[in-house]
Amino acid sequence: MRKEQKMLIFWLVILGLLVGFTLFSSWLVPFEPNAMDMNHIYEAPNGTHLLGTDQLGRDVLSRLLVGGRVTLFIATLSVVLSSIIGIIYGGISGYFGGAIDAVMMRILEAFLTIPSLVIVLALQAIMQGSVWRMAMIMGCTGWFVTARIVRSEFIRLKELEFIHMAKMFRTPLWKILFRHLLRNSLPAIFVVTIFNFAGAIFTEVSLSFLGIGVPPSIPSWGTMLYTAQNDLLVGAWWMGLFPGMFIFVTILCVQAIGSRFKQRGGQTHV
Amino acid sequence: MFKIENVTVRINEKFILNDLSFTVPKGQITVMIGESGSGKSTMLSAILGMLPAQATVEGSIFFNGRNIVELAKQDQSVLRQRHFFTIFQDAANSFSPTQKMKQQLYGLTALRMGQTKAVFLAKMKHIVQDLHLPADVLERYPFELSGGMLQRCMLACALYLAPAVLLADEPTSSLDMLHQQEFIQQLKRLHTQLETTVLLITHDLDVAASIADFILVMKNGEIVERGQVTEIFEQPKHPYTRQLVAHHF
Repeated sequence: MRKEQKMLIFWLVILGLLVGFTLFSSWLVPFEPNAMDMNHIYEAPNGTHLLGTDQLGRDVLSRLLVGGRVTLFIATLSVVLSSIIGIIYGGISGYFGGAIDAVMMRILEAFLTIPSLVIVLALQAIMQGSVWRMAMIMGCTGWFVTARIVRSEFIRLKELEFIHMAKMFRTPLWKILFRHLLRNSLPAIFVVTIFNFAGAIFTEVSLSFLGIGVPPSIPSWGTMLYTAQNDLLVGAWWMGLFPGMFIFVTILCVQAIGSRFKQRGGQTHV
Repeated sequence: MFKIENVTVRINEKFILNDLSFTVPKGQITVMIGESGSGKSTMLSAILGMLPAQATVEGSIFFNGRNIVELAKQDQSVLRQRHFFTIFQDAANSFSPTQKMKQQLYGLTALRMGQTKAVFLAKMKHIVQDLHLPADVLERYPFELSGGMLQRCMLACALYLAPAVLLADEPTSSLDMLHQQEFIQQLKRLHTQLETTVLLITHDLDVAASIADFILVMKNGEIVERGQVTEIFEQPKHPYTRQLVAHHF
């Protein structure tokens, strides 16, 4: 087995473990994540509380696992939504071309000039509320890169002979779009979606850290970092370190996996 | 059977083909030669209705007495689908990379004829064997086959469909010498077997000499010379043809 493949498997295993632990957190958590115990506040990692407790005596490990589920749920939902919007927008623009493409691309460029985090911030400030709403806002503002990739893939593919033949043989438009163009664009879409996923985790964490993301009552990696800000000053280093490590390792895994698939895509021209 | 009359193609007001007229006799192999950019592929695209949207076509393209250009888009497609088959230059791009050959060849042949998969498999297995393709070719993906094998898969489609007209745009240019010869032999066999009218485009004079019944020489969007193989290669009249032949031999 080649070194690159071994590395890919290594990152996939780490990510799989992280996702697995967070998905099955309901059964794995040693304590109820919101259960307060005022007799054990600010306890450093010990035999009972492996990653310590917070300012309300809640178990940090339990909150990390349950919080991971919230963060990954938001990231997944927003990426699914942004991929759907990006594929539709980029697909229409790339396939029809001409004036339609020109107008759609100028609109997209206008969106791209504003950093998406600023748009998310503005929308979140207006609509702040549930986990679902946050995922929707992130999904509706995270499709720009996907749309550009899909557009360029459709433009490249539609000039290939098998598409010309499909048109010549009067293949229905939906078949050309889905069976030929979209199907052959999937490797590129897959890679951009992986990177979008890493970006979505980062956005959730950033917004929650700023206090305008997930409501503080719901544990997520971002809200845990948010509450840890002040506690670092009282020496509760474990409250910020462990969520930070989980975020860091998850994003690192996703980026490493994405980079590997990107390289493989480059080698095979798909 | 196939007649091109005063065809002019302009793209963004630039002449690509200028008042082109020629006939492709029934059951013969007509080869169009000329340097890159002479308009050979544009002529083929005009016949197939595959020119870019900004292109304008004037003149007539007659097939069995009907002017294709004057037909409604739908009727043009029906006519092409029923009577034409095309082999393109890059075999790798002629197939979708993510679908198995069985599915793709079925879509290109039997599906068009309203035949079932069982009928397709029974007939295609013989053709595949006949063309010396691997027995499991239908179960493979395009990237698992060489350029030569993929071009033979296109020939397999032509053999299956038995079209009245076979159009081939530089079908050997991406093949090595050995596969070129093999492809030419099989194309000749197809032509003899089905009596298909062939219009082949190439810049390779060896290919032209080995297969053509009639040759058209193109330069800058115009036909500068036409004639039998011996006339073109032994007594070229136009300075450009003389230059081409001299440069080659």
